[in-house]
Amino acid sequence: MSWRTLRVAVPFVAAVAVAALPFVVSDTFLLKVFTYVGINVVVVVGLALLFGYAGQVSLGHSAFVGIGAYTCALATVRMHAPWPVAFAAAGIVAGAGGMVLALPSLRLRGHYLAMATLAFGELASLAFGEATPITGGVDGFSGIPFPSLGPLVIRSASGLYWLVWAVAGIALLIASSMVSLRPGRAMRALHGSELGAQACGVDVVGVKVRAFVISAVLAGLAGALYASVIGFISPSVFTVSASVTFLAMAVIGGTGSLAGPVLAAALLTLLTYLDALIPGISRQAAQTVQSLQADVYGLAIILVVLFAPGGIGAMWRRKSREGERA
Amino acid sequence: MSALLQFLIAGLKNGAIYSLVALGFTIVYAATGAINFAQGEFFMLGGMLGVLLVNLGLPLPIALLLAVVGTAAIGALFEVLAIRPIADGDPLRIIMVTIGGSVLLRQIALHIFGPDEVPLPPFTQGTSIKVLGAAIELQTVWIWVLTAIAMVGLFLLYRRTAFGRAMRATAINREAARLVGIDTRFMVTASFALAAGLGAVAGLAVAPLTQTAFDVGAGIGVKGFSAAILGGLGNPVAAVGGGLILGMMESLTAGYINPLYKDAVALVVLLAVLFVRPQGLFGGSGREKV
Amino acid sequence: MSLLSVSNVTKRFGGLTAVDDVSFEVHTGTIKALIGPNGAGKSTLFNVITGFERMDTGSVVFGGSEIAQAKPRQVVRSGMARTFQNTQLFDSMTARENVMVGSQARQATGFAASAFRLPSARAEERVASDDAGRLLRMIGIHDWADTLASDLPAGIRRLVEIARALATQPKLLLLDEPAAGLNNTETHELVDTLYRVRDSGITVLVVEHDMGLVMEVSDEIVVLDRGRKIAEGPPRLIQKDPVVIAAYLGEEAVEDD
Repeated sequence: MSWRTLRVAVPFVAAVAVAALPFVVSDTFLLKVFTYVGINVVVVVGLALLFGYAGQVSLGHSAFVGIGAYTCALATVRMHAPWPVAFAAAGIVAGAGGMVLALPSLRLRGHYLAMATLAFGELASLAFGEATPITGGVDGFSGIPFPSLGPLVIRSASGLYWLVWAVAGIALLIASSMVSLRPGRAMRALHGSELGAQACGVDVVGVKVRAFVISAVLAGLAGALYASVIGFISPSVFTVSASVTFLAMAVIGGTGSLAGPVLAAALLTLLTYLDALIPGISRQAAQTVQSLQADVYGLAIILVVLFAPGGIGAMWRRKSREGERA
Repeated sequence: MSALLQFLIAGLKNGAIYSLVALGFTIVYAATGAINFAQGEFFMLGGMLGVLLVNLGLPLPIALLLAVVGTAAIGALFEVLAIRPIADGDPLRIIMVTIGGSVLLRQIALHIFGPDEVPLPPFTQGTSIKVLGAAIELQTVWIWVLTAIAMVGLFLLYRRTAFGRAMRATAINREAARLVGIDTRFMVTASFALAAGLGAVAGLAVAPLTQTAFDVGAGIGVKGFSAAILGGLGNPVAAVGGGLILGMMESLTAGYINPLYKDAVALVVLLAVLFVRPQGLFGGSGREKV
Repeated sequence: MSLLSVSNVTKRFGGLTAVDDVSFEVHTGTIKALIGPNGAGKSTLFNVITGFERMDTGSVVFGGSEIAQAKPRQVVRSGMARTFQNTQLFDSMTARENVMVGSQARQATGFAASAFRLPSARAEERVASDDAGRLLRMIGIHDWADTLASDLPAGIRRLVEIARALATQPKLLLLDEPAAGLNNTETHELVDTLYRVRDSGITVLVVEHDMGLVMEVSDEIVVLDRGRKIAEGPPRLIQKDPVVIAAYLGEEAVEDD
């Protein structure tokens, strides 16, 4: 099979496989695990644009996930908003937060955004924990309703799975047309050479800010999905180390690629639920893997940056280039 | 009146610690143009190594010294293994590696030392000193003394030694420094060692007051960076000034507004400085030339 | 008719005056060269004209409007494109994609239109791709169109950068040392390219060290030395100008040390 066909066939087969999974997997917990994979994919698609295309580092994306989750919770529980409205609000509020953070820090040359997002992330998790009257504080926020579209309430494991992956699929479609056209070229251009990009009339700050806002919106939507699927949220989920995990997925997945980060998101998420995936695995082995998880993220970031700066995405591109030439 | 004095003392105590961590950021930034996200972990490693060595039965002064030297060695090793292979010196890649490194150092500390908070004995036993109705713990005095020694030492190193001149030359223009025969790669390694050593001093000095644990690095890292950028990133004197001011702001906020907001101060300061005056309080024009 | 007029431009870095009260004009349809010994302030002047550096005093009028305070992006939109002494290509992109970024300067569709693949976005994409192919062919490097910029030889990189600048459809093209690193054949091809560019109606301002090339292609020359303009005129007069010769001799004396 030629590389050109592969490039069309692989996403198609992957999409069919993802859509058909609930017919094959009957175990509810396993289906939930794959639902979490989908939620993380939504976040990582945004980070792939931000890091992999525009070359910007965020250590605060779990804060946007949190903002989305709390927005959805407040809108549905306190304000009795219809779910689609709450879902949209989650994206809008997170995106607005992203804009407020990105505009000033991206005006500066150098990589201040990484520190600004780290501070924002810490501040957000303090706020989630301390603003008890609004967020429920450290005890969390419970009773968040399932997603619903008018009278149709989605509560079955397979329904939730399909909803989440539908959002992930749409996010991927939108992102992939964006990167193959003008905006993606602009992002890759400024990542390659800011001077060159400016000389081509690219609005360098504007493109970075837009990439950041889009990634914040997607994180916010992922947060709303998370809150609605689980029904309960607490500050312990939206921490800086969760942000580092998202970043690790984007880094390992690679630059200039969407498929790479999606694959990395899936693999790293599944690693957390090893005992559910491999039936025979001993509890202790699963726990060992889990306790070493952060080590793996840290080490993987270092190794990828040092030895394979393009990550999975670049490896795939190189192979496919060689394949085409051969 | 004595309440205010007590707050000021607390502010100067924490501020001195932030200054040391901020100096670490400044030194590495000067040498590489990158923010070292592992700086806070050096603070953690200093304290944890100190506790480990004391528990092994070493006399306290020797344990402290070894902890500082050991952390500096870890800093140098980290640079040699993970930063030096980045041939193009791209700050983005350096930042990513320090982010990965901070996670890894924290995890290694967790596996070795466990998840619990551990204490370090005070450097000298004795009751607090009373000044105008306010109490100063002896360990606070130690913090000030160590901070002052570190700063004077750093000043002498930078201004009076050939090594220091080489470091400054590397910071100003790496290419030119290389051309006049300075081993710039070694200077980057030295800057990491120095930054790690300063972090360790801070971590050791404060450990008897607060205890320490594997996960204290991230928080102090953000505070140290806030201090560095409040003063003006890249300038050692400004870093110290930024640290002291930040310490004061924290303790006055905790004292007069709400202790709950203490940890938010540094974060708000960091964001506010980035947004309003990125060159910092003492920095000149923040504009970089093309 | 004057397309670009630079008047009394001064740019200081700390205590150093890099460009000192320089004035000159570039006439439509000509090739003008900016020469001078190392450190004469040529690149700084380029940066000031194209908005990459702010001038301290002076004015730059392009096509009738003042652009002294304009950002690089606005300068590009107003019809001025440039290349760099150290080529600034996008290494992870092919030659064609590099040139397509240049065409984007004139395009209007935003993120949203691209996100949903609206017809307008697809049409623009076709136009940009066709333009890029045409420009690469005109410069004679179409064989490299699908090679990653990081894999291109130095000479081709310079030409791709010129094609990218042309893709912004400039009225004035500023080239910063286009012949640096080129071999003889490549330099000849560059000369042909410059003529073709000029004949297509684009005015050219070029900073160049290769005197042979400068004397051959330029209609007029401005000579800078230590930030000041020391001479201006057609090549045959500049070649004989004692002040210019002295400035260059001084440089050679320094280089012989």
